[in-house]
Parts: sequence; structure tokens; C-alpha cells
Amino acid sequence: MAVSPLVPHASSVAASSSNAGNKFENDSGTNSPNKTKRSSSPQRMKNPDREITEQLNDDVRHKYIKDKKLGEGTYAVVFLGHLRTDPSSFVAIKKIKVNAEYKDGLSMDAIREVKYLQELSHPNIIALHDVFSSKDQNLNLVLEYLPRGDLEMLIRDSNIHYGAADVKAWMGMLARGVWFCHENYILHRDIKPNNLLVAADGEVKLADFGLARSFADPYLNMTHQVITRWYRPPELLFGARQYSGAVDVWSMGMVFAELLLRVPFVAGNSDLDQISKICEAFGTPTEENWPGVTRLPNYIPADPNHIVPLQGRDFFLRQFPTAGPVGADLLMSMCTLDPRKRGTACQILQHGWWLAEPKPTKKQDLPRKVGGTKKMGDDLTRRGGELDDTSFKNAARQLDFGAARD
Amino acid sequence: MPPARDIMAHRGDDDEVCPVCKSSRYLNPDMRFLINPECYHKMCESCVDRIFSSGPANCPVAGCHKTLRKNRFRKQTFEDINVEREVDIRRRVMQILNRREEEFDSKRAYDDFLEQREEIIANLVHGTDVAKTESDLQRYAADNMRSIRANQALEAQEASSFREQQTHEQELARLRREAARLEYENERKEMLAGREDVLSRLAAGRPGDAAAIAREGHKVLLKKSSARRSEEDRIRQKQAALRNSDARKAGQGALTTADRADESGDSGLIKGLKKIKTPEPEKPYDPFGGLIPNKRDYYTLRDHYPNSYLDPIRQDTRMQAGGYDLQEYYSRTLMEAFAGLGCFIDEEVSKREVTSTMGISRPVATEGAALAAVSSAGAPEASS
Amino acid sequence: MIEDEIYRSSSQFRLWSFTEASLKQLRATTNSVASDRVRAALRRAQDARRSATSSTTGTPAPGSDAENKAAEDKQIECLTPEEEQQVVDYYSEQIIQLGENYKPPLPTIVRATAIQYLRRFYLTNSPMTYHPKQIMPCALFLATKTDNYYLSLRQFAEGVPGQTSADDIIAPEFLVMQSLRFTFDVRHPFRGLEGGIMELRAISQGQGQPAPHFQPSQTPEDLRRALLSLSPSSATASTMNDRISRAHHSTREILKAAAQITDAYFLYTPAQIWLSAFLLADRPLAEFYLDTKLGGPIISSSNHDQNPLYALRTKLLTTLANCSALLQAYKPFASDEARMKTLKRIVGKKLYHCQNPEKANIAGQKRIPAAAAAAAAAAAGESGTSESEMERLAKKRKLERGSETTKDLFGGELVTQRTKERQMEGDQQQ
Repeated sequence: MAVSPLVPHASSVAASSSNAGNKFENDSGTNSPNKTKRSSSPQRMKNPDREITEQLNDDVRHKYIKDKKLGEGTYAVVFLGHLRTDPSSFVAIKKIKVNAEYKDGLSMDAIREVKYLQELSHPNIIALHDVFSSKDQNLNLVLEYLPRGDLEMLIRDSNIHYGAADVKAWMGMLARGVWFCHENYILHRDIKPNNLLVAADGEVKLADFGLARSFADPYLNMTHQVITRWYRPPELLFGARQYSGAVDVWSMGMVFAELLLRVPFVAGNSDLDQISKICEAFGTPTEENWPGVTRLPNYIPADPNHIVPLQGRDFFLRQFPTAGPVGADLLMSMCTLDPRKRGTACQILQHGWWLAEPKPTKKQDLPRKVGGTKKMGDDLTRRGGELDDTSFKNAARQLDFGAARD
Repeated sequence: MPPARDIMAHRGDDDEVCPVCKSSRYLNPDMRFLINPECYHKMCESCVDRIFSSGPANCPVAGCHKTLRKNRFRKQTFEDINVEREVDIRRRVMQILNRREEEFDSKRAYDDFLEQREEIIANLVHGTDVAKTESDLQRYAADNMRSIRANQALEAQEASSFREQQTHEQELARLRREAARLEYENERKEMLAGREDVLSRLAAGRPGDAAAIAREGHKVLLKKSSARRSEEDRIRQKQAALRNSDARKAGQGALTTADRADESGDSGLIKGLKKIKTPEPEKPYDPFGGLIPNKRDYYTLRDHYPNSYLDPIRQDTRMQAGGYDLQEYYSRTLMEAFAGLGCFIDEEVSKREVTSTMGISRPVATEGAALAAVSSAGAPEASS
Repeated sequence: MIEDEIYRSSSQFRLWSFTEASLKQLRATTNSVASDRVRAALRRAQDARRSATSSTTGTPAPGSDAENKAAEDKQIECLTPEEEQQVVDYYSEQIIQLGENYKPPLPTIVRATAIQYLRRFYLTNSPMTYHPKQIMPCALFLATKTDNYYLSLRQFAEGVPGQTSADDIIAPEFLVMQSLRFTFDVRHPFRGLEGGIMELRAISQGQGQPAPHFQPSQTPEDLRRALLSLSPSSATASTMNDRISRAHHSTREILKAAAQITDAYFLYTPAQIWLSAFLLADRPLAEFYLDTKLGGPIISSSNHDQNPLYALRTKLLTTLANCSALLQAYKPFASDEARMKTLKRIVGKKLYHCQNPEKANIAGQKRIPAAAAAAAAAAAGESGTSESEMERLAKKRKLERGSETTKDLFGGELVTQRTKERQMEGDQQQ
């Protein structure tokens, strides 16, 4: 699988460069808009006037054919594409728009997404097959094609019925993906239902690495302005600059709760509101239950007249009866206020819930929804951390891309 | 087996005389003849008792040196000893070659199998190629022990369920008869009661109504009996349907056990057997999806490492409260200390340069090979 | 070993690891392609100049063309792959220096990433095509972005000496990213060194955990005793703790310079690199540490047929020795006068003459090819480049034209008659 592509290509370039005299002839061939002119002979008619790197890029670009547009956002356009050699092998091509306002080169979202996806290869993480540039220096990410929408769609669709076994299957796939990221010392920092895309076979894949970063180094400040508000853990709301994989685990817990309730569990309309809703739901953070919390940069002292005690197992079981006692216990460990007491992704996967009844549904038997293609288009064009909760916005998109549904 | 053949030649009149002790049925009307499937030489019961009671012994017939055991002697079923022998052979072969039609790819393959089986039986009966045929048969029996047993069990199950079904049907017939009798009696009782009713009404009523009363009484009886009949029909149909579905279920069950039992596929002897995939036993759910958590080969991770550079963090409550976890740092530094220590680039990279002549930046599913053949000379606009 | 499998999935191993032979071949190819094209480009430039003069004067000079061409080919002396290497090494060192210009100085890891970007870039590009002084600041700025060390471009530009503008720095970014094949992750040996040192310290305090395969037979106390019985590396070493600290420091220095400015990253894995450097810093200590992982010579030689670790150990020791030799051979330009002299000759004279004139203006060339700009003016939209941006770039190019004549020690702007060439360039591209 691993191939260092530079050497063999370079030699083919060298070979073609010797016939520099044919330059103009080749030029006209390259510029011809007539696609049928593409020679079927294995002999490469390279333009010697292109740099080696450009040729390497062209080789990648020519592996794929862009079909229709699946969606467009401010940040990117997503196309359905396929391999030139195999029209049945679909890919999603995410073309990142040049941001005219950002003068510092390629945006951080794009850099992060490309950097981390290039290193991660796991069944529960969206695969980045290739990256190439198209004309006008547009960056194109060739991503795994995930036609069955996202978890948000399934949660919101009241026509879809699912049960504890399905939730377990989805959470299992999510937890594996997150664990693998953390094993590679990468934080995702934007876990939420609409970043969890569903593949044709039902596999859930973690997507959108625009806010990801590597972690674990001491004394390095990280930004607390990450993770979409409803899924953001209390330590980030309190402005912590040194944090850990626990931030993603909290988001996982929120997704878990949302899957069970079919509405977002703690949905604040501002960061402050989010904190108070968290306190309301899980208990007020204090020095006793979370040592050091008062020293966090943006800590807001709790109203002494309104201290909610830390919620115990009973609360979780009462709130989430479908999870069962073991599931409620797992949810509680994900939603622990103090990040050091929260379970790690590995501990989450070691929990007894996965082996308890009911067994997780097999991925091919999970409830599904048609028309997820458009949704993938929308999901991939969103900018990291954006909240996508206004339904009329979706309706507008639907009008735009209704024709693109397959 | 050859000795049996000459014996067969001179049977007939001496049927009534024991070939061993020469006593005849004439003198001993209770005399019973027994045979042993080892050689099929016939002898009287008292000879068997006399010769074989003290253990296995040679057959007393001149020239036959088979060792016989008393418990194998039995009564002859068929008058013709040849038929007797063939039936025995057939039974034995069929017990081994007990493949079922559903195990074959096609009807044709099954027919070929039946023909082959007949040929084997014929060989054994007529003594052609006996040694080879026997050894083939034994090898097959050894190789396919499990499927033979499974099919035997199936046959036994089928036989017993057939018997059950028969008794069940007999029972049903009996119940039906009983029901019909009861029905007839009820009907008669009602008729009698009706008639009495009419009579009493006639006795009580005016003379002009007589005809109307009689007609009415008759109608009521008719209605009752037809209603009863249709109700009984409905119940009967329902029962029949239930029986059928039970039988179907049993059949399906049988099929799956046969499937399960046979994983050898084509055995050497029999061709055209279905390749049966035994369904993979369902693995228990693995939350880690096949990866092993915290597995490390070069080192054992500790929860604490002395490092004065990190000491301030250990005291910094703010960093702690944010969740910063030194354990993650230990884990990462040690992983990076050893990740790739045993990757020898000079070896591994030169290997991959040999295996692939074209550059593919990253594996995309399985199309790598196909892609390598692609000519990429084309219009740069082609993809947009 | 599971750690090795994890490394094999990295882009560094998949795309940026080479054998010595393949590395050499690749550089030779890059060099020959670039040389051909420099010659062709210079010839075209000259032709264009000539035709320009002849069209203005109106007196064509037939017959003299061929002679001129032959004469010029002789003049154009291109860099050899080895000379290109010298240039890239020099600018790799410059990145370390450039990092010092900031307050606080840029983190070692950012600089190291930038150096590797630069070295990866020049595997498929030649300094004759793109001058390293243009690429170097861009590589460093890109590294600040990919390594989470945020600086605005303006802040960054302030640290770059000379008249380099923010636009000049960012102009080649896309080109650099494309040459990096859009892989931004560089696996460094620094963090691994920290891990090894921490483990050694744990061992010295009797807290060392033996490797999983030695688990039952070794105890932390065995390890500690073995460590303390090592022969001292030098007379001055007072305690084991000091010795480890010293070895730590010198290893880090080797990793910061020698490991960066040689081909170590292409030829070896980070784990091999830090251990090789460690061997140079304190051989007995490093050997002891390796033995705790792979068994000492006594353990392994006794029954090496059954012991897979023995084979690994043997192979690894050879590899580490080679890597150590590579690191040890490194000498910075500053301490090597002869090398510096050669470099000045290469960069100052030779590279000046064989710089590809058509590639000198990266910003103008890539963002808006002349023809595309013309097409966009006719049918706006499609290309996705906004009007305002085009205006911005047009302005910028005007400014550049104004500063064309300035030259500095390492090359400067070579190109004359830029307008003409840009026109040609546009013709070729579209």
C-alpha cells in the first residue's frame, strides 16, 4: 500500500523532457477541451513544460472525475465524483474555496483537516483518499463518499424509529473513532451529530477535522473556543487553555444523551446560558467536586442560593431510562464535570455496557434514511464549530440542491 | 465372499436338511434355519448353538474359513439367499453413501450419485473389483463420518416424524369420526326436541296455524345444523394449516442441520455436492473493533515518570482543573520514542519500489492496480 | 512491534522515506529536468529580447541566431545535484537563524518542520527554478500554521529581514503545499528523546518498568543496578542524574542541527534518529538503554536462533551506526570556511546565472496567469478569483516592476523585460 511516488514519476518526467522540441504540439493537446482526445495508450504524453510537482498533482487529479455538485457553503463546495477507471467507485470531492478575506494563505481549517486526515486511517474516521489542486489554486480533498446522511438526520426524523441496540451500535462506532484519534494524539474538537456521517454500509464515520489538533505537550496553550456550544465541555466554557482528550469525551456524552432523547440535551443559547444549563442538569461545579475549577480563567462563581448538588446514578437512570442502569452509568462517566474524573475514550470502550444486553445492532441492520447525499454535501461545506440548528436554513438549501439528489 | 457363490448354486431341495448336521425338518419339525451375513451359509439353530456358544469359530461348511460369531446369526428374510445378501449389502452401502438430494448442486448431480451408488452395490454383489470398491467405501466413510452421522440422524428423525404424523393422522381421523357421530346424535336430539316443540305448540295453538308452525320448526333446525357445520369446517381448516406449517418448520430445521454437518464439500468419491459455507459463528462484540488497547511492545507505560521540568504542572491546579493529563504526555513521548524503531527504510522502501512501478499517493480502496494502468495524459479541464 | 506498525501509517513513512539510492536518483532527475528547462527558458528570453530589439529597430539580423545560441549554451552552466544540495543545506541552516529573529524565538519544532518542508520541497524542485530565499520564509510561515504556533502573516513578515513583504512570503505557499503533496505532518525525534530520558530517569530511581517481553525476569531493581554499574562516560560525571541530563542536552543539540540539515529524516525513522544521536552523546548509556529493550549481547547470543529480538538488534545496531555516522559528519557552514566559500561561489555566481527567469515571479505567475486574467475580464465568475483580488495583484506587480533593479548578495531579481516574458508565459499556460 505505501508507495513513495516521487521517484518513478520523476523519471517519466525526465523521459518526456527530452522531447522539449515538441512543446507546442503537446501544449495544444493539454489545452484541448475535448475529453475524448485523452489517449488510451499507456504512453504518457506529458507536457514537458510542467513542473514535476505539477505533473504529480495532475496524476492525482486525473484519477478522478467530478460529477454533480452536492452542496455549497461559504467555505467549500462538495462534488460527487468517481474514479476515472471505475465509474462505480464514488468519492466526495471537497473543493475548498479561496478565502479572499484571509490574507495569510490557506485557512487553518483546511490545513488542519488535511494534516490530520492524511495521518488517520480507521473504519470510523472519514478517509481522505487524495488531495490535489485544481486551477486557480483551489484545494480539492478527495474524501470517502458517505451517502447516508448523518446522525443528526436520524435523530430529527420522527419517521425513523430506533432503540437502545441501535444507539449502542452508533455510539460504539463513534467511540472507536474518537479513541483512535486520541491514540494518535489528535483531538477532534468538534464532535456533534452532524459531523458523524453514515456510510453506505451503515458504518458511522467521524468527519470534519477543521478544528482538530495534536495534543499532550506540556505548557502549550490551546484555544478554548472550540467545539459547537451544545457539545462543549464545562472546562472549555470556563476558558481552560490546557486540556485533554476529555473534551471530546464530553461531546460524545452529549451525543449519547441526544441519541437517547432525540433532542439536544443541554442546548444553551449563549456560552453563559450553556454553563447555567449544564449546572442545572449535572450539578454546580465546586472546589469539592472539581478541585481547581474556581481558578479557571473564565470561571463564574455560582449563585450560592442556587447550588445544584452533583447528580448521581439515579438521575441519569431517571432521565435516560432507555439506556438501562449500565448505560446510564456509562453516560454519567462521560458527563462528569471534572475532566480528570471523566472517562477516557479507552475507558469508555472498556465499559461493561458494550457487552451487556441488548447487543448492538449489526451495522447493516441499522435504521437508515435515504437522501443523505445532499446532507453530506451540507456537512462538508460547513465551517467548524458552526451551529446548524435553524430549520429554515436547511429548507433553503434543499431548494438549491434538490436537483442534486440521487 | 466368493465362497457364498458356489453355495448358492446347489440350494433347493436340500432346503429341508441342515447342511451341517444333516438332520431334516422331517424328523424335527421345529427346526429353524439361520444364516450369518459373513458367508450366508445356512445351518440349523441347534448347530449354531452347538458350534458358536463358546465363542467365535470357523464356519463348519467345508472350504469356508470365515470366522463367525453367534450374535450375528439371524433368520433369513428372503427365501432367495442371494436376495438376502444383496439386501444386506444395499443396506450397508446406503448407510454410508447416505447423501441427500438437497446436498447436490443439481438434479443431475444427484442422479449421477444414485447411479454411482447402484454401481458400487452391484460390484459388491457380483464380486467385481471388490477390494477397490471396499477401500473406496471405507475411505469415504472415514472422511465423511460427520455428514454420514448427521444424515443418519436426519433419516431417523424423518422416519420417526413420519410415524408420528401417521399416528397423528389416525388420531385425527378417529376424532373426526367421533365428532361426526356426536354431531349426528346432536342433530337427532335437536330434531326430536324440535318435533316435540312443534307437537306441543300444535296442541296448544289454533288449528289454522299448524302448517306454519311445522314449516318454521323445520327452518330452525336447518339453520342450526348448517351453522354448526361451517363452524366445524373453519376449525378443521385451521388445524390443517397449522399442521402444514409445523411440517414446513421441521423440514427447514432438518435442512439447516444437514448444512451445518457437512463442511467437507466435495468428497473424493461423490461429485457435484454443494459447496456449503458454514455460517461464521457470530463473534462477540468487540468495542475496540479488533485493535488491542494499550498494547505496547518496546516498553511498559508507568503512571508516573520523574521529570523536574514537569513538576510545576503537577502543582498547578489550574492546569489540572482544565483536565491537562500528564499521562497523555508520557504515553505520547514513549510512543514516539519507539514508533518506527524496527522500520528499516532501506529494506522496506526498496521493496515497495519494486512492487509498484507507478506512484499512487495513497491507497484508495483496491483500485490501486487499476489506476496504475491509467493514462493520465488528458485535458486538465477534464475533472472540473 | 505495534509501535512500528503505527509509524508505518504515517505520511512521513509512506511518502517521504527513501533509500540512499532512490534519494540520489530523485535529485538527479529533478536536477536534469530543471537544467534543461533553465537552458530553454534563458534561450527563449534571449530570443524575445532579440526580437524585441529587432522589431523596434526594424533591422532583422538573420544568420546570427544560431551562433548566438551556441555561444549562450556554453555560458549557461547549471548547478549539479551536489551543488543544489549545498544550497538547500545552507538555507536549512538559515531557517534556524530566522527563527531566532522572533520574540520569543520560534519553537524548535516549528523550525524543524520548516526545514523538513524545505528539504522535501527541493526533492522535486530545483533551486534553479525556485530560489530558496523565496521558499524559505514561506516554508517557515507554513510551519507556524501547521504546528499550531499562530502568528499573523504581518507579524511574521516583521521578523524576516530585507525588503520581503507579506505578499512575497505567502506567494509560493500553494506551490510549497503542492510540492509537499499536501502532507503537513512531520514526525520529529524530539518528543521521543523526552520519552527515553524520562524512562532512564525512572530506571535510575528504581522505578523503571522492564519491556513487556522481559517482564517476569527483570525487576526495576535489576535495571537500576545495571544502570548504576555503567562505566562512567567521563571523569566529571558526578551523579547518574547529571549524566542523564548532560546526555539529554547534547542529544537535543544534535537533533536540532545535524538531524535537520542532513538527510536523516529521509533515510531513518525518528526513533532511530534520536537513538543514533543519543549514541553519539553517551554511548554506554544509550547502549544500556537499547539492551533493556532488545536484550544485551549475552542474552541474545546464547540462543539467537529462537530469539527474534536478536535479529532485530543486529539489524538495528547497523542502522543506528550508519545514522550516527551521518549525524556526526555534519558541520555547520559557520564553522566550515571552505564550505562557506564554495557556497558563496555557487549561490552568488552560478545560481545567479542559471536562475530560471520564467519562475522568478511566483506571485504573478501562479495566482493569475495573464491569459486567465484576460479571460476573467471578459467572462467574470468561473475562475473564482474576485475582481478585488485581481486588482490587488495587478497593483502588486506594478510595485514589483518598480523594485526590479534592487539586488542583494544571493541572487536578487534577475529578470529584465518582464512584461514580454509574462506575456509569453501566459501564452504557454493557456
